Amino acid sequence: MMNIDLKKQTRVIKENLFSSPVSTLLTFLTSYIMISFFRGMFGFATAPDKDWLSVLNNMQLYMVQAYPESDFIRIWICVGLGFIFSGLSVGLWETGEKTSLSKLCLTFSKIIFGIIFLTLIAPTTSVIVSTATGIREQVDVFSYAERIPLLSILLGLLVVFFLLSKINLNFNKSFLVSIYLFVPIVFLWLMKIPTIKLDAENQRVFPDPLMPIANSTKIPWTLIWMSFVAAYLIGIYFKNKKQFKTAVSISWVLLPLLIFSWIFKKPLIDLNELIRNDIPVFIGFLLVGVLTIYFINNKIVEKFYGYYLGLLVIVTLASLFLKVILLVKAGLLLLLLFSVIIPAVSTSAKGKRSLTIVWIVSLTTTAFLLEGGTSTTQIVVPGSSIFGGFSLTWLLAIFGTYVSFPLGVLLALGRNSSLPIIKGVCTGIIELVRSVPYITWLFFASVTMAVFLPDGVEFNLIVRVLIVTAFFSGAYFAENIRGGLQSIPKGQFEAADAIGMNTVQKTSLIVLPQALRAIVPTLVSSIITGFKDSSLVTIIGLFDFLTIGRMVIGNQSIPINFIGHDRENLLFIALVYWIFTFTLSRRSMKFEKRLGLGER
Amino acid sequence: MSIIEAKDVKKWFGDFQALKGISMEIQEGEVLVVCGPSGSGKSTFIRCINRLEQHQEGSIIVDGIELTNDIKNIEAIRSEVGMVFQSFNLFPHLTVLQNITLAPIWVRKKSKSDSEVKAMELLERVGIPEQAHKFPGQLSGGQQQRVAIARALAMEPKIMLFDEPTSALDPEMIKEVLDVMKELAKSGMTMIVVTHEMGFAKEVADRVMLFDDGLMVEENTPNEFFDNPKNDRTKLFLSQIL
Repeated sequence: MMNIDLKKQTRVIKENLFSSPVSTLLTFLTSYIMISFFRGMFGFATAPDKDWLSVLNNMQLYMVQAYPESDFIRIWICVGLGFIFSGLSVGLWETGEKTSLSKLCLTFSKIIFGIIFLTLIAPTTSVIVSTATGIREQVDVFSYAERIPLLSILLGLLVVFFLLSKINLNFNKSFLVSIYLFVPIVFLWLMKIPTIKLDAENQRVFPDPLMPIANSTKIPWTLIWMSFVAAYLIGIYFKNKKQFKTAVSISWVLLPLLIFSWIFKKPLIDLNELIRNDIPVFIGFLLVGVLTIYFINNKIVEKFYGYYLGLLVIVTLASLFLKVILLVKAGLLLLLLFSVIIPAVSTSAKGKRSLTIVWIVSLTTTAFLLEGGTSTTQIVVPGSSIFGGFSLTWLLAIFGTYVSFPLGVLLALGRNSSLPIIKGVCTGIIELVRSVPYITWLFFASVTMAVFLPDGVEFNLIVRVLIVTAFFSGAYFAENIRGGLQSIPKGQFEAADAIGMNTVQKTSLIVLPQALRAIVPTLVSSIITGFKDSSLVTIIGLFDFLTIGRMVIGNQSIPINFIGHDRENLLFIALVYWIFTFTLSRRSMKFEKRLGLGER
Repeated sequence: MSIIEAKDVKKWFGDFQALKGISMEIQEGEVLVVCGPSGSGKSTFIRCINRLEQHQEGSIIVDGIELTNDIKNIEAIRSEVGMVFQSFNLFPHLTVLQNITLAPIWVRKKSKSDSEVKAMELLERVGIPEQAHKFPGQLSGGQQQRVAIARALAMEPKIMLFDEPTSALDPEMIKEVLDVMKELAKSGMTMIVVTHEMGFAKEVADRVMLFDDGLMVEENTPNEFFDNPKNDRTKLFLSQIL
């Protein structure tokens, strides 16, 4: 497969890059800009005054900020659970697409060719500016003699890939993920990065230049990789079990809650309170909901449905003003919402079963959120919040999407509703939230929100930020989704009407699936925006990933003096953001392709 | 007993009066062809029969149920009345099989396996069982319209409404759709067909109606309609179309 058709390649290049004088000019201009950019970046990164240890040494700070080391196991469990469920999902939903070793080798060879090219054009000198005097100075960075070993390794790899490509071997595309994960873990074990030790006067000494830096992380990461592969194999094994897929899907919904409220938070649980109040209330709601689902369409009960709904509305409204635990209020609201849609859905055994699952999941979710949101944590952290660094960024991004997406769907449907009250309320929320900047909402969360909360309800700052973020991106999601709803031709509604579907069925089976697939690109860009906008929380004193690099490390003098070395860190942060957003957009492109199957 | 009974049906779109008092009856098993120039209200009328449009005056009684604003009645009537549209209106995100089984599963509450067996029978009947797992976008217009007929039939309706089912099709594809409709008519289905296919009307219809300007100007047997029309408007219409 390595024999590239040279004639074809030249033709492609001719047609795409040099087809006319203008395109030739553009090609040269763009390559000049790109090469200069690379040379500048390379010179910056390799200049001797850069201290990259300021990045490597602060990895722990970057990831979890001040989270106590004794509770690290919680974080590892979170990450591990995430990987296990990813593995299960990759296995369960694998498409059976095959790829061959030779194809893979071709891809890697292309990458190596790229690296060789970049090595050859890399600059030999770099400019450093002395901070004290401001004098610019040329220094040698990467001499041609130094390049020879690197180039020979690369050429050797090329030969290896060429030989490997002769082997006729096919494997599943999805299995590649475990190989891609395996490579960095091998590197963790092999790579030797000098560890810094300090002597009595806080001066740097390098006692063992070949000691691996990853001592504390390589064992957990290896375990996680192993469980990923195991989960993948289990997923493959249960591929045809539909119940297993449902269970994994539901777990994906519940997993962030588990991570947030039980593992990350280590909540202070009053067992007495839990047994006396929360558990009985939870079970009570669970039973009432299930009974409603199973008996509401019974001939005798049906007559009383109106009274039941009326009573429920009164009790719910009353509970909002009474002194009862939050779970009762939330549970009543949820039950009311369910009771409105139950009669339409629970007319068959299948509908009843799926509705029961949805009821249990949403009730559990609500209970978890309330428990996690209002309970105090036992984890003691110096400073204002337990979350910091990448874990905070991640939390805001995931929860922002996770809570705001369903909220956005509800708001969009509400705004399109023909009932004037629902329409008015939803339009009001969307317009109010969108007309105020995100930063203002963040200040609202940190300063004013406590005033609006009922007596006895207190939310942690991070929870308040999460609520605000959910509403903010929810409003934008809602407008995107509304655009998708409008793109559905009238004929689809008529066709659904003509076969006798009711409003709930029409919305969930015909309208939403089409509306959502029409706006996948916009949704992904909203998610990416949310991920990056999370760095704004620095303004209310939370330390997100970016703030750690910019503020903390740039001012770090103990144990090692890294003052002034924030530019390396900014570059590293940009790289990490780029890796995540790029992966996300690539994934979404693949997803779009898969969804596009049924399009005209 | 007549299965559809319309009395003096009137409908306005804003100031424009689309139906100016239509009265008609149709018996079970009858095939009725409605023709007329565009804008004459023929599509509006058959869309009133399953309440895709609301009439403002007069009454329509379908299968003994009067059409009112009561949602329960509307849904009951819609599940008895199948409809085929000019632009097919298949659900593009579902396969052909899912398109057909959707209503039986969710509206009629049948089991998935039963509905699939039934759907395959229907696809066999309209002549495209091999397309069951494709998406609508991968089919030709004629095939899509046949799937749409199968989708409507899957609800086991008593009445089928066809709203210009062949107008959006290429000439070669018209025949395959008309063949399916002829077969359906012969099996004793009650049908109201809005169409310009006069050959179909001659061959299959029990009665032919001509609409003009919101009024029914002629109602006749096919032979009388084509050979010996009573109304001058019919003569003019036939002279233009034949």
